[in-house]
Amino acid sequence: MATPVYLLPGDEVPSDRLPPTSNAPLRLGPGLRLLSKSHSRSTKAAPSDHVIVATEAGLLKTDLKRNAASVLTFPNRRYIATPNDLVIAQIHHSSQDYFHCMVTPHAPHALLGQLAFEGATKKTRPMLKQGDLVYARVLSVGVGAGAEVELACVNPATGKAEPGGLGPLTGGMVFDVSVGTAARLMKGSSASAANQQDPVDGLVVLEELGKKLESIGGFEIAVGRNGKVWVDCSNGGDSAIRATVAIGRCLTMIDDHDLSPIDQKKAIARILKEMKLDL
Amino acid sequence: MSKEAPLSLAERDFILDAVREGVRLDGREVDQLRPLRISFGREYGHVKVQLGKTSLVSRISAEVTKPRDDRPFDGVFNIAMELTAMGSPAWENGRQGELEPYVTHVLDRVIRHSNALDTESLCILKGVSCWSIRADVHVTDYDGNLIDAACIGIMAGLQHFRRPDAVVKDGQVIVYGVEERVPVPLNITHKPLSVTFHTFCDGKRVVYDATRKEEQASEGDLVMGINNAGDLCFVSKFAGAPVDAMTLITRSSVALNKVKEINGMIDKALQSDLAERAKKGLAEESRAENDRIIA
Repeated sequence: MATPVYLLPGDEVPSDRLPPTSNAPLRLGPGLRLLSKSHSRSTKAAPSDHVIVATEAGLLKTDLKRNAASVLTFPNRRYIATPNDLVIAQIHHSSQDYFHCMVTPHAPHALLGQLAFEGATKKTRPMLKQGDLVYARVLSVGVGAGAEVELACVNPATGKAEPGGLGPLTGGMVFDVSVGTAARLMKGSSASAANQQDPVDGLVVLEELGKKLESIGGFEIAVGRNGKVWVDCSNGGDSAIRATVAIGRCLTMIDDHDLSPIDQKKAIARILKEMKLDL
Repeated sequence: MSKEAPLSLAERDFILDAVREGVRLDGREVDQLRPLRISFGREYGHVKVQLGKTSLVSRISAEVTKPRDDRPFDGVFNIAMELTAMGSPAWENGRQGELEPYVTHVLDRVIRHSNALDTESLCILKGVSCWSIRADVHVTDYDGNLIDAACIGIMAGLQHFRRPDAVVKDGQVIVYGVEERVPVPLNITHKPLSVTFHTFCDGKRVVYDATRKEEQASEGDLVMGINNAGDLCFVSKFAGAPVDAMTLITRSSVALNKVKEINGMIDKALQSDLAERAKKGLAEESRAENDRIIA
């Protein structure tokens, strides 16, 4: 693997570290922005007049398969909405056209259209009440100060809940982790086995928990980029609550301590034993 | 936005279900305290308390003032606590929420009104001058159980604090600097601490040292102020379903054990801090017995 690229806000991304140009457009993930060079006076902007600049400090991550690049930040707790992020939002109140949702507590509310659900019509739209949770995608973040973040649980182009699982979350429990850890959890779920050895990406916690908790019926999980993880073990019967708490404890512990994959496995085994789940 | 962000329905239901089973989110027992760390700053009376993710700094300071007219023999002792935006985004600077007067009231009752600090010993010259001791509490992070954490901070601070020595000579009050004379510890009559429980399931489940989420899901709280000898100096239960009398009695014995445990931790922290200061040669100056033994 090549040496990692660390970026500070304002740093230009070296073009040789981006995925090689192909026909597919490059997708910019959180922490990156396309800017045009200020000194170029020509009205017709050639592609070389644009630079990709980091807006957050962190490690440059590229995904050749999806032709995407993003910045993996340190485990901070402040979430800045970026289009296409998957977040877990909490309904605060509902109005004529929108549900007003909390993505981050004490921050301005995000808007979620009443009809922005899969198969929703005026008559079949979900009736969400205050305190309900939804797994949604950030549709747009607007421009400038005071701009409203808009969420959707459906892909407007296809009318399907893409990627799967978007929509109201019922039951279960939500655990708070740092934004950085949430990003790593998301990475882990899409990463290949080879990537697991990467010390930065290497969060084996979900796979390990999935293996260990298979005997009690497994669990459902939704990771929000806003630092929230929803866990549901409703198949677990008697041990459902203990299993959920154990998963939450594993996540918060991995969030608090920087653990290597081996230490993660050890810690998971210890917590499961403490919660009397090591069957 | 001066209000705490509401819990989602899923979180509330889950916490209640878990408490019913006797399980807590961080895997603690029902009567278990979160990891508590007490550390002291460079100056006397500067304490940092870390209780789980709740953390605060308390600072004791002293100045010479005129005693109140109706109590010429008494010194002044005040507890000042302000919840600023530093501690939680739910708090606003300069605006009082619901929590602040409540916590201040409990601290006042448990520490000040129970006479933990002997105010008469703060008198320097009757009706003319006395010491005014002030305890400031600054919350730096909030994750529930503010009352107990603040109480630990203030009590540890009072025991750690040393005020400058002052004498009366020919009707004149002379205050000696810390370098001139060994500073004097405060006169602590007893060491009360608050123990906060939260009630769930119509008062049937009582949980100690709740986190912020547990506090939000709870029906109400039950605060007891107890000292090492088991004297109950404060009990309050302002909200929630009634709690069985037997539960209250068993909880008070639990609370007594907790107070002994925490006071033990404070003593240990104080002693190790004193030993640390002795190494630096500071305690050589601050030891009072030196003069007496030689004289």
